[in-house]
Amino acid sequence: MSETKNAGTMDMRIRTVGRHAKEGFKNLFRNGWMTFAAVGAVAVTLFILGAAIALSLNVQNMSISIENELQINAYVSDSVTVKQLPELRKTLADLPGVRSVSFVSKAQALRKMEKVLQSNANLISGLGNPLPNEFVVQATDPRQTAALAFRVQHVKGVEQVQYGKSIIGKLLAVTAAVRDTAIIFIGALLVMGIFLISNTIKITIFTRRREIEIMKLVGATDGFIRGPFFVEGTLMGVFGALLPSAVLYGLYNWLMRSVTLFPPFTLLPADAVVWRVFWVLILCGVFIGAWGSVMSMRRFLRV
Amino acid sequence: MIELQDVWKEYGNGTSALSGVSVRIKQGEFVYVVGPSGAGKSTFIKLMYREERPTKGHIFVGGFNIERLRERQIPLMRRTIGVVFQDYKLLQKLTIWENVAFALEVIEASRRTTQRRVAEVLDLVGLSEKANMYPRELSGGEQQRVGIARALVNKPSVIIADEPTGNLDPENSWGILKLFERVNDRGTTVVMATHNRELVNATHKRVIAIEAGQIVRDQERGDYGYED
Repeated sequence: MSETKNAGTMDMRIRTVGRHAKEGFKNLFRNGWMTFAAVGAVAVTLFILGAAIALSLNVQNMSISIENELQINAYVSDSVTVKQLPELRKTLADLPGVRSVSFVSKAQALRKMEKVLQSNANLISGLGNPLPNEFVVQATDPRQTAALAFRVQHVKGVEQVQYGKSIIGKLLAVTAAVRDTAIIFIGALLVMGIFLISNTIKITIFTRRREIEIMKLVGATDGFIRGPFFVEGTLMGVFGALLPSAVLYGLYNWLMRSVTLFPPFTLLPADAVVWRVFWVLILCGVFIGAWGSVMSMRRFLRV
Repeated sequence: MIELQDVWKEYGNGTSALSGVSVRIKQGEFVYVVGPSGAGKSTFIKLMYREERPTKGHIFVGGFNIERLRERQIPLMRRTIGVVFQDYKLLQKLTIWENVAFALEVIEASRRTTQRRVAEVLDLVGLSEKANMYPRELSGGEQQRVGIARALVNKPSVIIADEPTGNLDPENSWGILKLFERVNDRGTTVVMATHNRELVNATHKRVIAIEAGQIVRDQERGDYGYED
């Protein structure tokens, strides 16, 4: 007996979920213009958000690759014998703040130079090898490059040190500023989006307050009344995310094709960026829609 | 059974709507609530289905202690009473059938029960033929019948009506009253706030008169008693 009863309520629960989904979907069309307005508001906000994310992903990528190219060239004094080289390498690697040390021998350096000079390589062929042995040192933290260079300079056996002294400071300041601005911008957009959407949904609920009032008076629970609004809000959020995702995908591909850039200023591949943006937008859309609808209808449930 | 024990109601703006009202209505009674506008009739009615809460006192409706009711229990309480309004409160976008079925749908009744009950109550109020029409295609009297059908579809033990004939002509008002009498004959308690002197005087039922927030008269087989 109790089993059939349980089966009955279970069946009803499923039916209720189905009803909420159906009602919520129907309401999207019943309130066509309001839906359009709400989805539009979500779409515009999420488009800006998506563009900001795509931009900041690329800027971040660029700044990381630029930072990684910051290196210290330590030219080894000719008085250091080949046997002493491993020891010197260890001394450099043991300095605090060093991420990696790699060795470029005189011969390698020469081959590199010949490659650069190509057909003019014979210009230097008569000179023997004037190039010194060289260690390339990278800092764990690119911002500490200058300090590390100073330390490398004072290691015995290092004759001369070279690093992008003048550009480092400016470059690091620019990439940091771009990153911080993007974060603030994204935060502000999210807040604005929630505000816009909960306001729009408030209006759609306002036009249906009579329906809610009647539901309350015939004994519907608050959860039941919320159901369709929840579905409706979530769907609006999803549509409001799909639209800008598609537009961003198209725009990004167009940008990739029409703008030629040189390393390290290259764009990340479209798929990687747009998929990441897509999931963020969907999550934001669902969150904004569901939360916005539930929040904005609290007032109307007090009958 | 409905019972009010020394019920007081004061609104936030300081106006006092009810001052110490005590009354007992037995199961199956038919009661008119009369009195001048603003005397507290509506508050009296609204307290019974917990649209308003009393400032002081106790209210019992069909086994529920209304003023102690938790927020979550309110829907359960409302399923045991049917409320009828002066302005019908129908949803214009739904058909007559859907308006009545709505009350069952929102309490998650099974589809079969819904089909059967809606057909029964529409037959009772004489609107089976108009089930697929929309409220705006019906006369005021017919719309109020739909309102009553919706109130009855849950098989409530109490029907509470707030000026149900307030917007209707005498002929339709009589039709509505006859309907309430039939419902009452089946054992359902009917509490009806009204301004309709003809109905009250012609039917000789219990009359509770409220003036300035107090019960000034409670008569079996009473009359309207006001000259308007």
